Amino acid sequence: MSTEQLGDMRTEYSKSLIAVGEEDPNIVVLGADTTDSLKTANFGKKFPERFFNVGIAEANLVSVAAGLAYSGKTAFASTYAIFLPGRCVDQIRNAIAYPSPGDKKGLNVKLVVSHGGISVGADGGSHQQIEDIAIMRAIPNMKVLVPADSVAVSKLTWIIAQQYGPFYMRMARSKTPIIYNDSQEFQIGKGIILRDGSDCTIAACGITVKIALDAADLLQQDGISCRVVDCFSIKPIDKELLEKAARETGSIVTCEEHNVMGGFGSSVAEVVSESYPVPIKRIGVQDKFGESARDNEIPQLFEKHGITSINIANAVKDARGQKP
Amino acid sequence: MTAAKYKIDNMTAFLDRNFIQQDSYTEKIMPLDEELLGNDLSEMWKDASRWKTGDKWRSFGWNVIEIDGHRVEQISDAIRRANQTKGLPSIIIARTIKGKGVEHMEDNPQWHGKAPKPEMVPIIEDELESQFMIAPSIIAGDMSNLDKEVKRCAGGRADYIHLDVMDGQFVPNKTFDHTKIKELRPLTLIPFDAHLMINEPVKHVHDYIDAGSDIITVHAEVCDESSFGEICDMLNSNQVGIGLAINPDTELPQWCYKFVELLDQIIIMSVVPGKSGQKFIESTHEKIQRIAKDLKEHKFGGYIEVDGGVNLENIGACFEDGARAFVGGSAIIGQNDVRMIIKEFRNKVLESRRRLLIKKAHDLGGMEFVNKWIDLHVVGEKKDNLVQIAKEFGLS
Repeated sequence: MSTEQLGDMRTEYSKSLIAVGEEDPNIVVLGADTTDSLKTANFGKKFPERFFNVGIAEANLVSVAAGLAYSGKTAFASTYAIFLPGRCVDQIRNAIAYPSPGDKKGLNVKLVVSHGGISVGADGGSHQQIEDIAIMRAIPNMKVLVPADSVAVSKLTWIIAQQYGPFYMRMARSKTPIIYNDSQEFQIGKGIILRDGSDCTIAACGITVKIALDAADLLQQDGISCRVVDCFSIKPIDKELLEKAARETGSIVTCEEHNVMGGFGSSVAEVVSESYPVPIKRIGVQDKFGESARDNEIPQLFEKHGITSINIANAVKDARGQKP
Repeated sequence: MTAAKYKIDNMTAFLDRNFIQQDSYTEKIMPLDEELLGNDLSEMWKDASRWKTGDKWRSFGWNVIEIDGHRVEQISDAIRRANQTKGLPSIIIARTIKGKGVEHMEDNPQWHGKAPKPEMVPIIEDELESQFMIAPSIIAGDMSNLDKEVKRCAGGRADYIHLDVMDGQFVPNKTFDHTKIKELRPLTLIPFDAHLMINEPVKHVHDYIDAGSDIITVHAEVCDESSFGEICDMLNSNQVGIGLAINPDTELPQWCYKFVELLDQIIIMSVVPGKSGQKFIESTHEKIQRIAKDLKEHKFGGYIEVDGGVNLENIGACFEDGARAFVGGSAIIGQNDVRMIIKEFRNKVLESRRRLLIKKAHDLGGMEFVNKWIDLHVVGEKKDNLVQIAKEFGLS
C-alpha cells in the first residue's frame, strides 16, 4: 500500500470508459459541456457515434441518457456534481430511477460526476456539492458510490458498466493519494477493511479515507488501535461489516466530504442504531456552505470544516469516552 | 415567459454573447445561432445575418437590443433604450470577444476558465496597456456634406470621430463650430473627439460640452494654468474627457504637470495645424518618445494622440514611439473604402504591437520564452505572423 503516489480520478474514469467501451458496443457516453474537464471527450474521439454533448443543459443530459437507456443502451452521463443531483433531481428521479421496464429496477444510466464535495478549488460555495449523497441515497433504486482513489474509480467504472441499474458515482476534482493496489477487488455493497483494530472504527468514504488512515496513525502513537473501513458503497451499505465493527470495537467515527446531515455518517448511524447501537461521531461539513479556496488553500478549507486527521482522532477519543 | 406575461419593463437582462463555453465554441457544441462546422469563429463574426439568438428572445416576447459589447457608448445607449421601453422586458445581447485585448486569449475557448501563468503576466500587462484608437478626421472629406463623412466613419467602425474646430484666428483656416457638432451628434454613437484650434478656449468650452462632445482638447498655446484649471473643472463636472494639444514647435508647458493625472489625452501635432493633407514632420517621432517617457514618470493615465500626416507608412512607428490614438485625415477619409483603410491602419498597429511584445518576451526569457509565448497563439493566423516577425528580428 503506497500513500505517496497521487492519481487522477477523471483520467482513470476516462481510460476505463474507453476500455469498457471497446468491449461493449452498447455503451454510450453523454456530457453537458465540461467534457474536456471530465475527460470523457476522449471517449468521443474514439467512438464519435456513441458520444453526445448536449451543451449546458443538464436536465436534458439526464433525459437524453434516460431515452438512450430505455432503448437498450448503457448510458454514462457525466458532469460536475453540482450540476447533476443539485440541478436535476426531478429528471433523475422520474426519468431514471422510477421507470422500471419489466422486472428491472430503474433504467441503466450511470451518473458519474467529478468535483464532489468542497475540494473543488476557487469556484467556491456555489459549486461545492455537499448534499448529493443525501439526495441520491433517498431515491429508490439508485445506488451510490464514493470511491477513495483513482484505482477504485477505474475498477468501479468496470463494475457499474456491467451491472444493470442506475448508479451515482462521485469523484473528486483534485489528484488524490493512491490507496489501493491494482489487485484490490471491489464489490458493490461491500466495504473494505484497510486496517484492523479493536478500540474504535473509523468509517470513511472518498478522499477522506486517506485522512482516516492518517488519524489511525496518530491514534496508534497514543496506544489506541483503530479499524479503518472504506465504505465506498454507501448505498447499498455494508450492514454486516458495520454491525461487526460496532460489536467488536464499541464505537464508530464516520468521515465524509459532505454535509453530516443525511450523508454517509447518517447512513452508518441508521444501520448501527438499528442493529447494534454504539456511540457514533460524524466528521464532515457541519451543515454550512463551503467557500472559495485555491488549490493550495484546500487543506485550510478542510481544517475550517473540521475534516482533519486530528479532529478524527479527537472524535475517536470522545466516542470511546461515551462507551457505556 | 413570465417576464413578458407580467410586462416586467423595469428589468433588463444582459447576454454576454461570446460564442464560447468550457468545451469549445457554443456553435460547435450546441448552436444557438447556427452550427459552426470548421474551427474558424471569425466566419461567424463576419455575417450578422447568421445570428439567431435575438429571434429566440423576441419569440418569447422580449424587446431585444443587439450591440457590440466592447463599445461603452453602445452599452449606455442600449441601457437608455431598454429603460424607455414600456410594457415588455428588455434584453441587451452584447456580442463580445472573450479575452479581448490579449491576442492569444481572444476567441480561444482554452481560456474559458484558466488563469495565465505568472511568467506571462508582464507581457500580458504590456499588451493590455497598449490598446489603441483610430480617429478619422472628417474635415479631410467633403466639407459641404459632413453628415456623409460622419456616417462613413461610423460604417468604418472608427473608435472616435475627430472634429477639427478652427476659428480663423488661432489658425488661419476656419472650419465649423459647436453648432455643426450639435447637428452631427444624432448621427452616431461613436465618441466625438473635439479638437479646438481656437483662441480663448475657456470662453467656448461650454458650448462644445452642450453640443455633445465626448472628449474636448484645447491648445496649450492659448491656455495658462488658471484657464486650463477652469476648463478641467468644467469638463470633469460634465463627465467629458480632457485633452491638451501642442503644436510642432511647442513643448508641454510646465503648468500642465499639475493636471497630468486628470488628462485623458495629449495631442501631439505632427503638422502645423490649419489644413488637411500636410506631410508628417519626421522629428515628431523623437518628440513622442520623449514625451511618452516623461508622462509615464508623471503617472499620466491617458492616451497620446498623434495628429497630422499619419498614414500606413508611419503609423506603426508612431505606435512604437508611444502614441495610442491616431488621427487619420486624408489617409482615411480621402480613401474610397473607409472601413478597409481603418482595418489596414489597425493591422499596421497590431503588427508593431506584436513586434514590441516579441522584443519584451525576448528581454524576459530569450528565444525559448519568445517561442513559448508565440505558441499560445493557436486561433487564426496570428501565429504565422508572429513567427515571421520573430524571424525578421533574427529570433526563432
